[in-house]
Amino acid sequence: MSYILIYIGSVFVSSVSQVLLKSSAGKTYDSIWQEYLNPKVIFAYGMFFASSLITILAYKGVPLSMGPILEASGYIFVAVLSYLFLREKISKRKLAGLLAILIGIVVFSI
Amino acid sequence: MKAMVYFWFKNVILKWVIHMSEKVKSFVLLHCILLVYSVSSILSKLASKQEFLSFKFIALYGAVLFILVFYALMWQQVLKRLPLVTAYANKSVTVIWGLIWGVLFFHEAISITKILGILIIMAGVYLVVTGEEKA
Repeated sequence: MSYILIYIGSVFVSSVSQVLLKSSAGKTYDSIWQEYLNPKVIFAYGMFFASSLITILAYKGVPLSMGPILEASGYIFVAVLSYLFLREKISKRKLAGLLAILIGIVVFSI
Repeated sequence: MKAMVYFWFKNVILKWVIHMSEKVKSFVLLHCILLVYSVSSILSKLASKQEFLSFKFIALYGAVLFILVFYALMWQQVLKRLPLVTAYANKSVTVIWGLIWGVLFFHEAISITKILGILIIMAGVYLVVTGEEKA
């Protein structure tokens, strides 16, 4: 169970990095170098690498078949983080989908 | 008459065949990339069984990172050929690959609840990505 939480933690870290990248993609920079070499983007890629390491740690206890299932929780994290920090709306259809993903993860895990 | 048939063949049938074959090619490319991506999870699982920072661990983790970079680059190419929603909806096929690899390489069990969970998640991902457009 604790390994499942570690895996979900790694998905959360990678979701935060995705939202960070998304928020910096909306900005305009003076040069193409600044587009990639700014603190936000470097931090986001660092988080992405950290997440891949945490994933390996989690696989010590998580079955391989469960990995991609837990990764689907990323859709939920990205939607919630985008809602909170990027003020993106969540449509009813999308909300239904997010709930289905949550239910699917639980059904798979029982 | 002959000219008309020729015109019709060249402008309607041929164009349709080319369009469809391009579409099929894009889908094959997308699914090849997703298959390669799913292999990175096998390597992560293998790496988890190695001692941290041992040679085998570094080799496997390096391969994982290589695949992730390759995937990110190829994903951009796919998005040029297929709509974002289509690409993301197809991406959920990786949960099926995860189950197949788990059963094949790590002797994990298949159960009704696992298959049901996968189907619910795939339906959920479909709703999320198609719900994005209307938001």
